[in-house]
Amino acid sequence: MSEAVEIPEEHDLDTSWMENMGEWGANARPGKRGLTLADIQVGSYGDLPEVSDNMTGRPRGAAVRPEAYRVGAYSVHTLSEIWLDNAEYLYEEALQRQWSSATDIPWHTLEPLPDDVEEAECFLCTFFNEVEFVAGDVPARWIAKTTPDYLEARNVLVVQVMDEARHMDVFRKRALANGGGLMRMSGATSGFVGSIDLARDFTEMSTRLHISGEGAVLTMFRMGELFGQNEAEKTMYRLCAQDEARHVAFGVMHLRFLAAAEPERGEEINCYLDEAEGQLISGQQNPAGALAETSEALAVLLGGGMQHYDEGHKKLLVIRRRQLKEYMKRVMSAGFGERFENGRSPIPERYAASA
Amino acid sequence: MSEKLPTEAAVTAAGEADSKTIEPVHGVHKPKYDWMGLTNEWGVRVKPGIHGLRLGDLNVGIYGEIPEFWEDQTRRPRGALSRPGIPPLPYSLRYKHEMWADCAADLYEEAIQRRWIPATEVPWDSLEVLPDDVERAVCQICTELSQCANTELEIIAYWQDRMSYGYFEVKQFLATVTFDCARHMEVLRKRALSNGGGLGIESRGRVNRMILESSGGWTEAVVYLYLMRGTYITRLLTGLLSSAHNDAESFIYSHMLEDHARHLTYGYDHLKYAATHRKGSTAIMRTLLTIGEGHMADELKDGVVRSAMAIIFGGGIEGGRTRGMKRYLLLVREFLEDYLALCRWLGIDREETLHPMLKSYLED
Ligand SMILES: [Fe+2]
Ligand SMILES: [Fe+2]
Repeated sequence: MSEAVEIPEEHDLDTSWMENMGEWGANARPGKRGLTLADIQVGSYGDLPEVSDNMTGRPRGAAVRPEAYRVGAYSVHTLSEIWLDNAEYLYEEALQRQWSSATDIPWHTLEPLPDDVEEAECFLCTFFNEVEFVAGDVPARWIAKTTPDYLEARNVLVVQVMDEARHMDVFRKRALANGGGLMRMSGATSGFVGSIDLARDFTEMSTRLHISGEGAVLTMFRMGELFGQNEAEKTMYRLCAQDEARHVAFGVMHLRFLAAAEPERGEEINCYLDEAEGQLISGQQNPAGALAETSEALAVLLGGGMQHYDEGHKKLLVIRRRQLKEYMKRVMSAGFGERFENGRSPIPERYAASA
Repeated sequence: MSEKLPTEAAVTAAGEADSKTIEPVHGVHKPKYDWMGLTNEWGVRVKPGIHGLRLGDLNVGIYGEIPEFWEDQTRRPRGALSRPGIPPLPYSLRYKHEMWADCAADLYEEAIQRRWIPATEVPWDSLEVLPDDVERAVCQICTELSQCANTELEIIAYWQDRMSYGYFEVKQFLATVTFDCARHMEVLRKRALSNGGGLGIESRGRVNRMILESSGGWTEAVVYLYLMRGTYITRLLTGLLSSAHNDAESFIYSHMLEDHARHLTYGYDHLKYAATHRKGSTAIMRTLLTIGEGHMADELKDGVVRSAMAIIFGGGIEGGRTRGMKRYLLLVREFLEDYLALCRWLGIDREETLHPMLKSYLED
């Protein structure tokens, strides 16, 4: 009896690429927080170019292929433009702390509110439904322009876009879940000079967005215990504050990095902060700002109704005061505290007057 | 990770002290309440269902009216009252058919429910030393897929801020997609750098270039990104999953596949929406595909991915030459069958006119 032996067909196998790979022998090990982005900055894979010459979109540390297409017209390609020291940490933290507006908010705790209070809450929600995604649209635009060599910093911005999508959605949900509805838009983030959208330099954008805009919102969210009318709202503000803290930290740490790397840009940054402070005090982007219509709504919520407006307004002033204090702390942490001592900034005076 | 962020810990400590001292303040301005009573529709009370309060549940009354053209170039939320005198922003995609898919809101919620964390959920301890040729092949595929995810992220980020606010469900869903892409790049990099290997050689990037150059419209980008490249990537990931070497790889590929399936669901659905709501769009898609197939064929011919996949399938270089390559060629064939079926579903018949180099994969 004879058996036919099937001879498998032989194919050509190009293995020439094996001779031209990135650095070999990387053996990153998970630590107590798992295998983090910081853990894989091993060997040359941790080397960050001061200026990125990556024009092809390759992952940092991959071997260069001479015939690769130069598709990456990255306008953000110097480290100091976008970098911050704790990007890996912020990214991993963001992944650990994602939440769901569908299931993590105790929506069942919503109960009918007096008309004026519901209206105030819905007005605030309309404002946030409108402005939350400025922090999605704008970082997205910069992500598309940033070299993948700075993936850690870029990834933090990507998660910010995700966070803001969730914020936009949680405020819409709240507005439509308790007998109210959306109200009139504010136009706070429209296309005017000095707005977050239109900044043409990443750091200028980050100062407007992360330091000024989100800084003010963060302080406010942190005090959501005071104006949230039920557990659902309090949870919503608390979870949003947690996210905003990361976004603000990005801005602070980036400014700190830039100030150290390019001290010659100090005066320029101070000019951005001059403008940011104007926004903080009276800009429409600060929902608790002196000229913002939302301030009235906040006072209604803080007081527990229109009839307690004065009481609510007092609490609003506490929020404003805390916004100023936290802002100063952040700017000091970023390395620009001198402006509060040399009389350049109006904030210390404002702060003192608010006591 | 429960501690406060280093920069914010000091800041809050400072602020908290302040909020305890609520002092009476005199001279409160009389409120004007100009904002009160201004609404298009009041009395909405959407209740959470068994899956919580979902984005799609909110589409009631005027809040669910999604017009074919979105006039407003501001960030006015859909259903909110507009305000005169607001300067526009550069939202250039203003027709519903330029981005819409009915499934976007549900996919958005699904993406959030199914999020995963590479650092702590992948069983990294299950990695074991692999033969050098296999490790090199895995690392090469990680490099290639990472670059594909990078292209996906860059093209979405490019379009996202041009999409009108009226179609926010799509903007929000795409935020989950770029998040997925960042996570895919992260997890592939982690896999490549944690088992004695490293990254491979970069992609020549022919299809990446095709996707990034499709700047005429988002729909056109979707044709290349999802219908063509995405359909192929599904087959790659399915193949990798079936030959995973350990639990870590199984976890990575299966979760990537799950994410990718959402992206494709949106992509296919959007193309179908465009095909049925915009006159002439299938003809444009056909033209794009005619050109795109040539680039895809060229990329498939490139030796790097095909040999790396063959080595993984064959368990090494030797097996790669025979059964490994046979299986890879079958994978390409299955991809092309999927692709042709999808084209048919969209009303674009590519069977007869398929690029000859692609056709050759379907023979024998
Ligand atoms: Fe936010
Ligand atoms: Fe934010």
